[in-house]
Amino acid sequence: MSAAPGFARRYSAWSLLRARFAGPGYWRPLWSGRRLQPAYDVVIVGAGGHGLATAFHLARDHGIRRIAVLEKRLVGYGNVGRNTTIVRSNYLLPENHYFYEDSLRRWETLSRDLNYNVMYSPRGVVDLALTDDAMPALARRGNAMRLAGIDAELLDLAALERFAPELAPRRKRRFPLAGALLQRRGGTVRHDAVAWGYARAASALGVDIIEDCEVTGVSATGNAADGVETTRGHVKAGRIVFATAGHTGLVGAMLGTPLPIETHLLQAMVSEPIKPLVNSVFVYVSPGHGETYICQSDRGGLVMGGHLDGFPSYTREGTWHRLEDVVQGALELFPCIGGVKILRQWAGTNDMTMDGSPIMDRLRHDNVFVNAGWCYGGFKAIPASGAAFARFVATGTAPDLIRAYRLSRFATGHMLDEPGYGPFPVRL
Amino acid sequence: MTRLTCPFCGPRELCEFEFHKTVPAPGSVDEYARTYLRVADAHLSIEHWQHVGGCRAWLQVQRNPSTGAVLAIDMLAGEPR
Repeated sequence: MSAAPGFARRYSAWSLLRARFAGPGYWRPLWSGRRLQPAYDVVIVGAGGHGLATAFHLARDHGIRRIAVLEKRLVGYGNVGRNTTIVRSNYLLPENHYFYEDSLRRWETLSRDLNYNVMYSPRGVVDLALTDDAMPALARRGNAMRLAGIDAELLDLAALERFAPELAPRRKRRFPLAGALLQRRGGTVRHDAVAWGYARAASALGVDIIEDCEVTGVSATGNAADGVETTRGHVKAGRIVFATAGHTGLVGAMLGTPLPIETHLLQAMVSEPIKPLVNSVFVYVSPGHGETYICQSDRGGLVMGGHLDGFPSYTREGTWHRLEDVVQGALELFPCIGGVKILRQWAGTNDMTMDGSPIMDRLRHDNVFVNAGWCYGGFKAIPASGAAFARFVATGTAPDLIRAYRLSRFATGHMLDEPGYGPFPVRL
Repeated sequence: MTRLTCPFCGPRELCEFEFHKTVPAPGSVDEYARTYLRVADAHLSIEHWQHVGGCRAWLQVQRNPSTGAVLAIDMLAGEPR
């Protein structure tokens, strides 16, 4: 990637050293504040992870020059800045684990590809089992992954104790642990850096990132869309991409096409910083309440999340009882954190599809594309989604990697029901 | 949104209730649309809930999903789907 002159500098040890002596004014904004132009080849709606990654790959891999990313609020205001930073590819269904494995491989080299440190940390994702009966299900998922060439290890209690001594797996507890499925290459990535890194890299390739510009409609002549209506006026577009996670149902309504999507809230929280305690990502489903996943940020905060709030909402305000569930699970895993305070709690809006898998397809018009329905797996999908979707938009043909994510699967009966509870976005 | 008012039990904590699904669009006749497609409206969501931690009645709840305000809550007429 070559940086545009006078704008984003290429980062290196040398550039850091120069910054040390150059004084104030050396560092420049990560992306430029360009003006909105009247016409583009591709207009992408939503400057989150998926929108920015799609823009970056359209510009870098497919040589499309006139690209705009229109954002209602700020870069990274949505789910790319609201998730719990976990990346993994431990899915059961082949369509999903090949896709997420492609994504995980891209995470491994993303800092180099973007010339921006996204702090990929392969600290291991540990799915805990509470009963012997739960172990075969983990073994089945692990075996499915290994058949696809993805790393997975089934841990009995002794192995779990060796891998995660902080968990004290043999300690007497209300719900004793039975074992775990470990993906060592899974881990965390600094989420804000992903938004900023893609925005910087795309901007350096000439992509216009326009904040505070809401798309309110799509204009069409005949069967083809020809532009978008925005709060800053009409913009002509050859192709239009919607990457509006959490609000895609409303995009469908705007285009007069109902979608198999409900919008639900997923909340997360972070504690005050403490000394290193939690070395991996732990996923824990306890019989008394919902789910808890917990990891520790580089700053020391315990980052926790759990199950969906469980009903449609756009408020971005999590419910108290779900917060309590999450904290309860965290306390069962690590009783020693009882005195630690929660610093912040927040929620994001999730596109929940009727089979728990994403939708990457055309919508209504031949030149309108929708990248949606990521449920609670959107963050870890960003690099693969950006690359594959850019190819789809540029060539008009969906790559094999995402062909299973077509919208028509709900009508033809080819659902990818990863959670396995039928046509409902949430089952508690 | 922290509470719902059950028509039988009165105001109760939200955790007593369980969301089931949003109601299909009026006039959607075919099974595919009824099962899979959802009405997306930023200001009105019509839903089936059950008061599982109380009287176990099925309820039809109308809410504004952008504010969390409950607009109406009634006993569900007929079977939940």
